[in-house]
Parts: sequence; structure tokens; C-alpha cells
Amino acid sequence: MDSERVVELLNKSLGAKIKEISAPNPRRVYVTLDPADIVECARTVHKELGCRFNIASGMQMQRDFEVLYHFAFEDDTPAGVVATLRVHLDEKAPSVESISHVVPAAEWIEREMRELLGIEFRNHPDMRRLLLAEDWPAEVYPLRRGKPWEGKIEKKL
Amino acid sequence: MGIAIKALMKSPWVFHISAGSCNNCDIEILDCLCPRFDVERFGIQLVGSIRHADALLITGAMNRKSAIRVKELYEQAPKPCLVIAIGSCACGQNFFRDSYHTVQSLDELLPPGAVTVYIPGCPPKPEAMIQGVVKALGQLAKKKDEPVTAGEEKKES
Repeated sequence: MDSERVVELLNKSLGAKIKEISAPNPRRVYVTLDPADIVECARTVHKELGCRFNIASGMQMQRDFEVLYHFAFEDDTPAGVVATLRVHLDEKAPSVESISHVVPAAEWIEREMRELLGIEFRNHPDMRRLLLAEDWPAEVYPLRRGKPWEGKIEKKL
Repeated sequence: MGIAIKALMKSPWVFHISAGSCNNCDIEILDCLCPRFDVERFGIQLVGSIRHADALLITGAMNRKSAIRVKELYEQAPKPCLVIAIGSCACGQNFFRDSYHTVQSLDELLPPGAVTVYIPGCPPKPEAMIQGVVKALGQLAKKKDEPVTAGEEKKES
């Protein structure tokens, strides 16, 4: 399995939902999707194509937020190919449907992204605080650009 | 020399606190205990309960959540006890000092003079850790009747 074959597979199964697809090297494929389609596409890739959900990652870009869902095709080659589903979210109020109903492994990473970047995952089954301390103020997202926590938290216990 | 100090020097039992470290220092601590360095032949033993410990090995930069635990554990340790800060993070928080989830450093958190030895390094070599413990014990031997840790313990004796 190489990236060309993966591109072919994804084109066939996701079809018109793909906004953009690229394979920068033989091991990686990037697919840009509309945020509204992410749950459906994650289900197809995870359930029908049988990919393992690796991890998701969130980033604050120049003008928007990006969430990347990394899926691994690892059937025949030892290292396999990683296909990344990418969605762009609004900078003011980043919000996307949670994929944890179709991919249960995504539950904790979505909680983490919510806490550290402030990305809202709609219909998430359990959105309790995961990593930050109990006394950490709500609405302060430490991994956003700049130092958003400055002046809002005490640096001493 | 008091009986407590004599017993401590004869066989310092250590309790290992990993306060948000990257696990590198922790692996090196385990290296000390494994057959290559085998500090158990000097009576240094890793114990599972803070109540049995003569020395605390603290690794990691400490975050908002673990710092509370470190303070609690220090208070629960029978005195006199040695506090050994292992690694650059425990010594002075390294580059995590201005990070969002760290609080004050270990020596500011514990009572003044509580930290007996600083062992810098990222991670320190097992040789360095053994030297640190030997130095701490040497300090104890010199002080005779005085407890190792200065500050509040001094008043009790």
C-alpha cells in the first residue's frame, strides 16, 4: 500500500466530499473536508476502509483553526500510510461535530483540544476537564497564540 | 550522633516522586537500582510508602496538580529526611519556568533549606546521582547531632 493507492481508495469512497487531496510523500495523504462532512467521512475511513485511528491534532493557524484526524492504513506494509483528514474551523468560535460516536478512541483527544485550544466538539458524550488543574479559569486556553493565561492565573500555590 | 541519623546513614530508604517529569530521570533512577550500579548493596532501597522513606527523590518541573501532591508527600515523610532534587527540572524548572501550568520551583514550594541536594543534568547520570547521595550522607556525618534539613526541623530538636 502506498499513497497513490490510498488516494485512489479515498477518491472512490469519499467521492464528492473531498475538497482537496494531496500526497506529499509515499507515506502521507492529506484530505481537506468540509467540517459538516467529518463524521460521515471518519465513519467511512474507520469502519469501511478499516483504518486505525492514530490521533487527532489541533492547531491555531494564521486565520483559522485546523483539526487534523490521522488515520493509519496498515494492512500489508509494515509502516503503512497515514491519511490525514483536515477541517478548517472559524477563528472566532471554532466548533465541529464530535467523531467519538463513530471513533471512540477520539474521545479523550477531543477533550484535550477543547481544554487547551478551546475548540468546541458538539455532541461529545463526556466533556469534563481532563488535564488542567481544577482551579484553572474557564475560557482561558493555554495553547492559543500569545500568552492568554498571563495575568489570569497565580504562578504560586 | 542520634539514632535516627545513624539509621538513616546506614541504609537510606528512598521514595521516588515523579512530579510531571518526562520519565528520563525516572529511568536513570531505576538504572541506579539495577545490577549495573546496584545501590542496594549500600542499603539504598526503593520503598513503596512515604512513611518508610528516609529520602525523597523528586524529578520533574512540577505542574499545578502535582505540586500539591509533592508538598503533601513531603509533609507526610518522617523527619529527618533528605530531599534530593534530580534533574534540571526539579532543580530550577529548566525551560518550563514560564510555562502555563508550572508553579513555583521545588525549593520555593518546600520550607527553606528542605532540599538537601541538587543533581542537575538532563538526565543526570547514575554516577552523578550516587555522588549526590554520598555527598548528602557526608554532610549528615559532619553535622553530628544536627538534623540534615535546616529550617523548621531545627526548632524541634
